[in-house]
Amino acid sequence: MDPVVESYGLTKRYGTVLAVDNLSFKLAPGTITAFLGPNGAGKTTTLRMLLGLARPTSGHATIFGRPYVKLEKPATRVGAVLEATDFHPGRSGRDHLLTLSRSVGLPDSRANEVMELVELEESAKRRVKGYSLGMRQRLGLASALLGDPDLLILDEPANGLDPEGVRWLRDFLRSYASRGRTVFVSSHVLAEVAQTVDQVLIINHGRLVTESSLQDLTSRVGDLVRVRSPRLSELAEALNREGIKTTASNDHSLLAHDTTSERVGNICFSAGIPLHELVREGSSLEEVFLELTSEVEK
Amino acid sequence: MISQIKAEVLKIRSTRTTLGLLLGMIAFALLFSILPGLLSHAAQLTGKDNQVNLLGIGAISGIFAALAGIMLVASEYRFGTIRPTFLFSPNRGRVFASKVVAGMLAGFVFGVVAEGLSILVDFIILRARGISIALSGGDFALLLVGALVGAALWGAIGVGLGAIVPNQVAAIILLLAWGFVVENLVFGLLPSVGRYLPVHAQDSMIGLSTPHLLAAGLGAVVLLAWTAGLGVIGLSLLRRRDVN
Repeated sequence: MDPVVESYGLTKRYGTVLAVDNLSFKLAPGTITAFLGPNGAGKTTTLRMLLGLARPTSGHATIFGRPYVKLEKPATRVGAVLEATDFHPGRSGRDHLLTLSRSVGLPDSRANEVMELVELEESAKRRVKGYSLGMRQRLGLASALLGDPDLLILDEPANGLDPEGVRWLRDFLRSYASRGRTVFVSSHVLAEVAQTVDQVLIINHGRLVTESSLQDLTSRVGDLVRVRSPRLSELAEALNREGIKTTASNDHSLLAHDTTSERVGNICFSAGIPLHELVREGSSLEEVFLELTSEVEK
Repeated sequence: MISQIKAEVLKIRSTRTTLGLLLGMIAFALLFSILPGLLSHAAQLTGKDNQVNLLGIGAISGIFAALAGIMLVASEYRFGTIRPTFLFSPNRGRVFASKVVAGMLAGFVFGVVAEGLSILVDFIILRARGISIALSGGDFALLLVGALVGAALWGAIGVGLGAIVPNQVAAIILLLAWGFVVENLVFGLLPSVGRYLPVHAQDSMIGLSTPHLLAAGLGAVVLLAWTAGLGVIGLSLLRRRDVN
């Protein structure tokens, strides 16, 4: 099947800052993909370029085979939310939806349907200024769903949600994607989306760091060993000599990759390096995420 | 295009902002129709020129229409609704054109209300004070048509201005400084230039007798040219600018 989203060398430069740097990726239909990276990594800028709000400095992107702005009635194919706060505070939630649905000729009844879908029908006639952040997030989602699209693009949809809201969102996205539709959801916290997604796309400093399935990412985690030692640089050298990759964790410890605590312990013993701590890291996805996004900085 | 215009009209109707502007304008028009009508000496209210000045206060609707037009664009940037607007309608030219139409509709309503009120109120006041009406049917028609066509064009000018300066506060300050300070300075110093500026072009459209003003028809053409010029600049900026 043809990819739903394709990005070819997307690049955005603001003055001297390269916000997005030659970013290429594809999204397969029927998948939920997390778009991950620390704050400022270039996620939102990438999404803006995908959706025709910002012009790439170079490169281009297509959705369903065409640039977003060339899609016929894009709202009926792609639902997108970039900011949770994009409402006029003095307008009711329902009127907000109507200003959008009427602009593409959808029937007014559709606004009521999506209000029910996100469980906001009770507040439909209230002004948005009285909405909680969670309600605003859901209203934004409702606007994206108006056209019953096959692709959802959400920028940090879990921001500011309470745990109950996060769970609601997770269940919602799962049921949405279970019908063969595609979701692309950005986040700066992997844990937020780890239980929802099946693909991950990690960027840092505007560049693609990792593109893999969540399963592959998880399997990378198992073989991580944290070592604490007062002679950290010697330790790293000794491990590297044995072909073990290391990354800095903090001032006193480092992470050894794809190895076992036994092997690390033996190497330290023969090199005469004192060990203060030797721990096999649990399956912390967050750890691997932090590691992947700090690697590029070297 | 029709659907987009419907959406833009709903944007105007679904907040209290434009209603507030309309009420402010009504208060303003009533105040400046009633006070001079009641307080001026009868001698200052006789004759065609004085009466056009008095009854022409409804042309103030132009400024209010321009404010409404500015907000049609700038409030979308202020509250971020420009993002969903462009996501639903990536054809920015069509969005802009629809806003121009919606701004002109709002301006038309503003013009009818304000000029209708000032004609009605001052007509009653003049009759009650026994001052004979020196205006012909044609003069009344020019007052009303000039004010409401002018207000409609100002609505469109506001949309263009909002697209050029999407910061709402800056756009409003620019409009007021231009309308109340810059134009009067230019017209005072160089009337042969100042009469081609938009506020004075509109003054000529309602038949004001101020010296140096253009003929009403030419004034309308000049105001239309300003509308088109600002619209073209606004549209090209709106299309080119990234939305953050």
